[in-house]
Amino acid sequence: MLQGNNIHFCITDRPIIGDVNIKLEPGKFTVIIGPNGAGKSTLFKILSGDIPCSKGEVLYNGKPVNSFSSQQLARIRAVMPQHSSVSFPFSAWEVVELGTLNAPQEFDQKEIIEVMKKLQIWHLRDRSYNLLSGGEKQRVQLGRVLIQIWKKQAFPRYLLLDEPISSMDVSLQHLVLDLLNELKTRNIGVLSVLHDLSLVGNYADEVIMMKNGNVSFQGNVADVFTSYNLEFLFGYPIQVRKFNDGPGLLVHSLPLHHINHRLSQVQ
Amino acid sequence: MIKTLQASIPKVKHRIQNTVLLFLGILLIGVVLLSASLGAYQIPLESVVGVLSSKLGLAWGSYTEPQSQVLLNIRFPRILMGILIGGGLGLAGAALQGLFRNPLVEPGLIGVSSGGAFFAVVFIVFGAGLTALSPLFSLIGLPLFAFLGGLLVTLLVYNISSHSGKTDISVLILAGVAINALMGALIGLVLFYADDAALRNFTFWSLGDLGGSNWSKLGIATILIIPALAMIMRLYPQLNAMALGEREAYHMGVNVQYVKYVLFLSSALIVGTAVSLSGTIGFVGLVVPHLIRLGFGADHRLVLPGSFLLGAILLSTADLFARNLVRPAELPIGIITALLGAPFFIYLIVNFKKVKY
Repeated sequence: MLQGNNIHFCITDRPIIGDVNIKLEPGKFTVIIGPNGAGKSTLFKILSGDIPCSKGEVLYNGKPVNSFSSQQLARIRAVMPQHSSVSFPFSAWEVVELGTLNAPQEFDQKEIIEVMKKLQIWHLRDRSYNLLSGGEKQRVQLGRVLIQIWKKQAFPRYLLLDEPISSMDVSLQHLVLDLLNELKTRNIGVLSVLHDLSLVGNYADEVIMMKNGNVSFQGNVADVFTSYNLEFLFGYPIQVRKFNDGPGLLVHSLPLHHINHRLSQVQ
Repeated sequence: MIKTLQASIPKVKHRIQNTVLLFLGILLIGVVLLSASLGAYQIPLESVVGVLSSKLGLAWGSYTEPQSQVLLNIRFPRILMGILIGGGLGLAGAALQGLFRNPLVEPGLIGVSSGGAFFAVVFIVFGAGLTALSPLFSLIGLPLFAFLGGLLVTLLVYNISSHSGKTDISVLILAGVAINALMGALIGLVLFYADDAALRNFTFWSLGDLGGSNWSKLGIATILIIPALAMIMRLYPQLNAMALGEREAYHMGVNVQYVKYVLFLSSALIVGTAVSLSGTIGFVGLVVPHLIRLGFGADHRLVLPGSFLLGAILLSTADLFARNLVRPAELPIGIITALLGAPFFIYLIVNFKKVKY
């Protein structure tokens, strides 16, 4: 289990995160949502071991994150930051292949090919990374991160993704989220920051709702992903509805002038 | 061409990379033979081969005693020094570019060379006490001081221009300008206090070319440069990962701090030794890694050894021109590398604005 206990983080005495407790279980897809500046990315960096927290602790399978070497940590968790640039003209294949850097034995190329085909970037393999479009770059980076934990292992592992699908078109977003749901069955806990609420409602198992550096609500989607909680979180009218009374969820938010228009009609 | 050379399947790619290295190696041997043959005193290729083979216990081709003397005492140490320093500067350039994650970085440009030069001058002027202390210092004092200067400036420039693993290139270049100016002023200040012997020493050294090479200097260069070369070349997978950023490299299991320190130390050792033995030779460290990447992709598995070989080829060729253009006089080699390198650097800046890789 990946645990964050009593996490605090301050920048020059200004609290960015105040007392956050979270648990990420292997086999579950957990999503962090919240308004801009809520501390999502900071929490993400603390959990992935980039920055130490001012107070509290981060535990991977029961051991503190700073007790691992970078090599050991790379075997139990893979991280995709929000933005990554590549400073030299590497090809897409070379970027994905970097994910195998820490593999204890010679890595099977078939698995790289498999990941690239699943993410629909196989045809880009010889292209220079820096000449790809935003969505293509994102899939190449995701491929690099996925290959790092692709091989099945006996111990639980974690995948941390900071807005991994923000530049992708809608069909690719579904493709990637399906893939993540498949991946979690390999004893992997997936944690992602996402902004598209209807995708969150339909794919996540658990949601962590953050506001002003604190967790406002967390739990199963069925329990906490409600119109009421979302409206509180974002300070904006949001509606969650069941689609055709099936398991699918529709999340709406309308422009304010439409809502005002409707209100005036009612009056 | 680039597309086929970057053929992604590693087996194919590695075969192509090995072929490129083999080709560069053969080219280097060609340049070596040519520089051994050409010069103020012309020696036919047949005699060059003759001298070389007789040293190996073979007897291919004939040669005369004066030819053998010139080759063994003057030309071979000079050529080998050119290979070591040219290759070292090429590789140090590639390492620093990888460390700073920027293709515009060069030891001369960011002040590493001038830092090394300043410390070298300090040793030339004030080091008499040290050399009296131990004869060892008269051998390695100069390279050691130049190494310390280079290392200090590298760390300084890195800390000025980098923030949480990202380098701001404009700050980096400006820091380089400032440090170059500062080091120039400090060198002038130190020379103000120098006596005549030290001044003469400095003048010879600052003319900076491979002319003063001999076997004992070559020995020092080998001892100092070869281990640093080996340390850098071993780090090619880590340098590839660092191209994505220090944070990403850490996520992928790279011990970023260790890699950084090895690169700082090794490249400062190479540049410092090169500066102390041959003065500041500019632009080799900038142009060479670039040409390799341009032709054959960014994989450091090729860029590092390729930069060594191409740097050696480039400096040996420059030295060949330096010795032969105004025969029997010699041009300083720094003039030739700057004549080639400065326009290329301008070309890079213009292009860097357009396509940011």
